[in-house]
Amino acid sequence: MDSSMYPIAVFFAAIFTNNILLTNYLGMCSFLSVSRELKTSVGLGIAVTFVMASTTVLNWMVYTYILLPFELTYLRYIVFIIVIAAFVQLVEMIIERTSEGLYAALGIFLPLITVNCAILGVSLFMVIREYTLITSFFYGLGSGLGWFLAILAMAGIRVKLARAKVPPGLEGAGITLVIAGIMALAFMGFSGMITIS
Amino acid sequence: MANSKLKKTFLTPLGKDNPVFVQVLGICSTLAVTNKLENTVVMTLGVMFTTMLSSFTLSLIRKHIPARIRMMVETMIIATFVIIVDIVLKAYLPDIWKQLGPYVGLIITNCIIMGRAEAFALNNKPGLSLIDGLASGMGYAYVLLIIAFIRELLGTGSIWGIQVLGDWWTNWTIMIMPPGAFFMLAIFIWVVRESFMKEKKED
Amino acid sequence: MKKDGFYFLRVYPLVFMLIVTLICISIVTGLHLSTKSRVDANENLFLRTTVLQAADVAVPEDFREVNTLFESIVSEEDSFYKVSRADGSISFVVPTEGAGLWGLIKLMVGFDEELEELTGIGIFAQNETPGLGARIEEEWYRTQFSGKQGPFVLVDEGAGDSPDEIDAITGATRTSRAMLSILNDVFVSGPAVVRGE
Repeated sequence: MDSSMYPIAVFFAAIFTNNILLTNYLGMCSFLSVSRELKTSVGLGIAVTFVMASTTVLNWMVYTYILLPFELTYLRYIVFIIVIAAFVQLVEMIIERTSEGLYAALGIFLPLITVNCAILGVSLFMVIREYTLITSFFYGLGSGLGWFLAILAMAGIRVKLARAKVPPGLEGAGITLVIAGIMALAFMGFSGMITIS
Repeated sequence: MANSKLKKTFLTPLGKDNPVFVQVLGICSTLAVTNKLENTVVMTLGVMFTTMLSSFTLSLIRKHIPARIRMMVETMIIATFVIIVDIVLKAYLPDIWKQLGPYVGLIITNCIIMGRAEAFALNNKPGLSLIDGLASGMGYAYVLLIIAFIRELLGTGSIWGIQVLGDWWTNWTIMIMPPGAFFMLAIFIWVVRESFMKEKKED
Repeated sequence: MKKDGFYFLRVYPLVFMLIVTLICISIVTGLHLSTKSRVDANENLFLRTTVLQAADVAVPEDFREVNTLFESIVSEEDSFYKVSRADGSISFVVPTEGAGLWGLIKLMVGFDEELEELTGIGIFAQNETPGLGARIEEEWYRTQFSGKQGPFVLVDEGAGDSPDEIDAITGATRTSRAMLSILNDVFVSGPAVVRGE
């Protein structure tokens, strides 16, 4: 495999074949509650993609230049979650002071993101898989876009679903999970597409 | 009086306020490992341990936590217990630790733990918080164990790695793959809500 | 203490957070240090098990026996292991690694005495998809390599008969291809390592 193409392969694999939501179930909580509306889904999707790509790079640097040399890798959970929380807080403050429009659109989603498992998950996967900085960035970006794609598709379907007749016990979370399952099946169809030889 | 409160604290999360099928919370970190019963047992024990002890610890110091940094303190304490689980698994069950990979760490972002800390531990006595944490963890565990049991049985014809179904059985590979978990959870929620939750709504 | 004073609003939260952090980190560090020797022993045991698997030697259940067996039949050379098997033959085990779908796959590859065919493989580290690519760790997969001769080709799962055919894993095309390329490489480079070239 051509090593220069590897980050790109990981990028597309993270969006389609191994979508972080549909194959690893990460970020389900906010997915189930927010996917009711198209507009909020877009807002959260953008915020997640941005935070995911940035924190993956930050955590990679912290891990490689601080935790590894000092043999503190067992502290990575605490350190990663603090980096994510601090980054989200910082972005919130910057947006609040510089752009009112952006803050109105994304501001409310930022606190939700700290507890989104997908963000921490991407950082942990990156460490276990020993990615380089470049690959980590593309992996973070791809996973974020993959999550965005999944929530966008789900919100689109749920808008239509509002007019459908769903069995009472399956309303809400139940039917959303069924749709997520069908989406996961559909995404499995991508699995042969990304091949680099 | 005190006794009945204790009982109520213990039973509510197991039944009518179950975190998984009522609130659909905290499934992220564990759903991924429910294709093997063994991994699910270890994972849910980890979640129970963390929920129980972080609720207890936070309740102990609840009167001293400054409101502004409440979330930071909660995260810190939860993360500490998760790292303890991680280190213990790494030392004593290295095979399972390898299989679980990053999912142990993801217990930190399990919404149930943070949710119980916020909703219960910060307003109740340590002993009661411990019981609440334990019960929430158990309510969560048994749902996922049932799902794991069915997924492993249908997906590989085995339970706990031991083949139980004969040669006549064709494995439903889809059950151990990602979509299987979504369908199982959906069906489970449906069955429970249809059969047990109905009367409650009519009350 | 005044509830809105400087001390209460600024200093106290900081001091509180600092104390909590210190306590948490010292507990975790203490536990880490006290289990470190055990963790290292586990790692070492795992490495030894994969060497024995690659040499196609039956691995005992009890870990103490694994260590005794390893010490009695394996000699560690510069960059490979020399395993004396029960039937008097010798197997050379070479560590190798290559890119899988998600990250590095690290494995031990065993060669027979003449360095002409494989005796087996042992997977040391992998991050492939659970239930799909991760099945390279399963016994049926790793034991198929005894007596195989490269260059290898991939065939459907369960179809590999002749010495150059390797079973692929159904649904895990990328992982199967990655394994193929790693094994084809090592089939050329492994004997060279043992000969000291």
